[in-house]
Amino acid sequence: MIKKQWLLAGTSLLLAGSLAACSSADENTEANGETAAASGQTKLVYWSIDRHDSDFIEQKISEYEGLHPEIDIELKVMAENYAQSVDIAFSSKQAPDILRVDTGNVPTWVKKGYLESFDSYMSEEMKSRFENVLINEKNTVEGKVYTLPNIGQFWRLIYNVDLFEQAGITEPPTTLAEMVEDAKKITEAGKSSGAYGFAGNFKSSSGFERIAYPITTLSKNTGTEGFDFQTGQFDFGMYKEVAEALRQIEQDGSMLPGSESLDIDPLRAQFAQGKIGMYFNHSVEPSVYKTQFPTEVRWAAALPPTIDGTQNGASQVIAGSYLAMSKDSEHKEEAWKFIEWLYSDEVQVAYQEGGYGVSVIPSVAAVAKAPDIPGIEHFLPTSYDGIYPATPIVITEGRLEGMKKVDVFNRYIFGGGDLDKELEDLNARYNAALEKAKAAGDTTIEAQPDFDAGALQKSLADK
Amino acid sequence: MNQAKRQINAWTFVAPSLILTLIFGVYPIFWALKYMFYDYQGFGEPLYIGLDNFERLFRDKEFWHSVVNTFIYAGGKLLITLPLSFILAVILNRALKGRQLLRAIYFLPTVISASVMAIVFYVIFNSYNGMVNQLLVGSGIVSAPIDWLGPKYALLTAIIIAIWGAVGNYMLLFIAGLQNIPEDLYEAASLDGAGPLRKMWSITVPMLGPVLQMIIMLAITVSLKGYESIMVLTEGGPYGKTEVMYLYLYKLFFPVSSGGTSIQQFGYGSAVGFATAVIVGLITLIYFYVSKKLNDIY
Repeated sequence: MIKKQWLLAGTSLLLAGSLAACSSADENTEANGETAAASGQTKLVYWSIDRHDSDFIEQKISEYEGLHPEIDIELKVMAENYAQSVDIAFSSKQAPDILRVDTGNVPTWVKKGYLESFDSYMSEEMKSRFENVLINEKNTVEGKVYTLPNIGQFWRLIYNVDLFEQAGITEPPTTLAEMVEDAKKITEAGKSSGAYGFAGNFKSSSGFERIAYPITTLSKNTGTEGFDFQTGQFDFGMYKEVAEALRQIEQDGSMLPGSESLDIDPLRAQFAQGKIGMYFNHSVEPSVYKTQFPTEVRWAAALPPTIDGTQNGASQVIAGSYLAMSKDSEHKEEAWKFIEWLYSDEVQVAYQEGGYGVSVIPSVAAVAKAPDIPGIEHFLPTSYDGIYPATPIVITEGRLEGMKKVDVFNRYIFGGGDLDKELEDLNARYNAALEKAKAAGDTTIEAQPDFDAGALQKSLADK
Repeated sequence: MNQAKRQINAWTFVAPSLILTLIFGVYPIFWALKYMFYDYQGFGEPLYIGLDNFERLFRDKEFWHSVVNTFIYAGGKLLITLPLSFILAVILNRALKGRQLLRAIYFLPTVISASVMAIVFYVIFNSYNGMVNQLLVGSGIVSAPIDWLGPKYALLTAIIIAIWGAVGNYMLLFIAGLQNIPEDLYEAASLDGAGPLRKMWSITVPMLGPVLQMIIMLAITVSLKGYESIMVLTEGGPYGKTEVMYLYLYKLFFPVSSGGTSIQQFGYGSAVGFATAVIVGLITLIYFYVSKKLNDIY
């Protein structure tokens, strides 16, 4: 009996020990905080999701700590499910002082009470540097600033010059019809080496968007992300031509087999091996091919083709949000000073010149040189790039019933069907969800009858 | 030791796990039971909407499609896994040289994480340079690569991976059951002139009855709830072709969306969670009713 009790007690202790082990990370953080406090330092915790620039940020943190010995900054580069990690951190009162925020999360995180507005902290000089690039529900919510932009994703058609030449094509396509035709020619010429004309990472929920958004925003002047700013309603008909072109590419056999289950990294690996003629992605690609997938392939990038060759809108640049400050932070002044320094021209110019991204801050873009990375020249801002107002897509999909747009388009591209009927159903479901979101007060985005995406041309560069 | 002291001792030992179960096991269930009647995205005031979430559930084609997929997935997995693991168990229960090593090899997939497994299988099965296709095309069995992860075969591929991951586990459970069958029953049967098949049918299967009932029940519930490897392999795609019940449910609480920007649907997710629990519970009950005989034979 006694022996059994000891066994039970031992097992209980072991279990209790394992539970304690689960919480060790927090204890460490607390212990670090105490050490910082003991040495008279203020500890700031900074969460990021950007792995590609973590070396640069670490270096800048050391620099800042050198300038301000009273500050100790801990950078944590988070993995996937970042939004969930942030939710858990705030609900358990362990939120970081400074955190990276994605554009679509800004209104939600403000409503959840996570973010502190920058308004009372920003100097007049800083306000004037950013006043022309602030966007409602990307940077501001109900007139208050919660984050500022730094870099933008500039979207291009990326193509293998060798495969184009092998197929007798001298220029990248400028229309959808040419894109379909070129994909066919490249596949025919590349059959012996297993090369295909076109690929997309359709496994990802952004697979279709990566192709459709750049083409459509440059072709049409009404909106983006399926949202027509002129009517204030969703109209997925704007992607009809792109969906039909991709269906044609698939039926022609010019699409890399398995594209429907492809992620972006396997796609890049295949492109680096010379198996893909063209695909769409943004300004991170040059550094990817420099470090992650070094390649012998001669590649280049061009502005997205348009539906009929005319550029009525502006190719959507994804930009708007970067750093935010926690409402729960006990060191807001100190956190703000660091945020302000990271947003300074000095740091942001070094960021662009180091090749970590292309800046959309006007004062930085004016003086920063192009980074020394092969291929980046194709991704620098042109007169045909523009930052769009925020759309209510994220908040709408939170109330959407039935299949999301990405699955509907993928089903059509790889399986066919009645596209008009699908589009009608998509519009009805998305607009019903939008109405619910509006009724619940989740979004204040309204129609802008005079919106013209063509007016966004030349907003980021003159040429 | 008097009765009161015994009680205190017993409760002291039970209390930690009981408290943790109440906090992490029972409370979330009541939380979900409450929110299935609410419209709640994780921020703002939850809005009471009565049975609206259930109305939506009944007209939600994607959900019912995922239920059908779950049955195909679980059915396909069980139909192959259970007989195969039983046969392996019978073989490896004999005095076979190197059986410990073989048991360990068959059991190995059980200890590998489902996500890691799925990534490895993605490399093996993908259409453009996967090993399976290279073998099939290289040996002339097929002329063009098969799109194993495409709309036609993705669910089949998921089933194959599930079988690979589960056979060793059930094999071990069957071996444990087989080792409880007294050897003298087989000896007596041999004296009566029974052959191997006769012994299998008249001794092994009936004597395994109660264990078999538990193993099958475990296998059914685990298969109906399985989604991890599918999430990594296809994320439920292409366009819902491999969407299973629990993956559909998972996405409502932890949405997969471009750029990591997405909104949870806690209210509807709770309703779907309730429905999936009812479905799995009902199937388990039906199974228990149908399999009563297995328990009686012993």
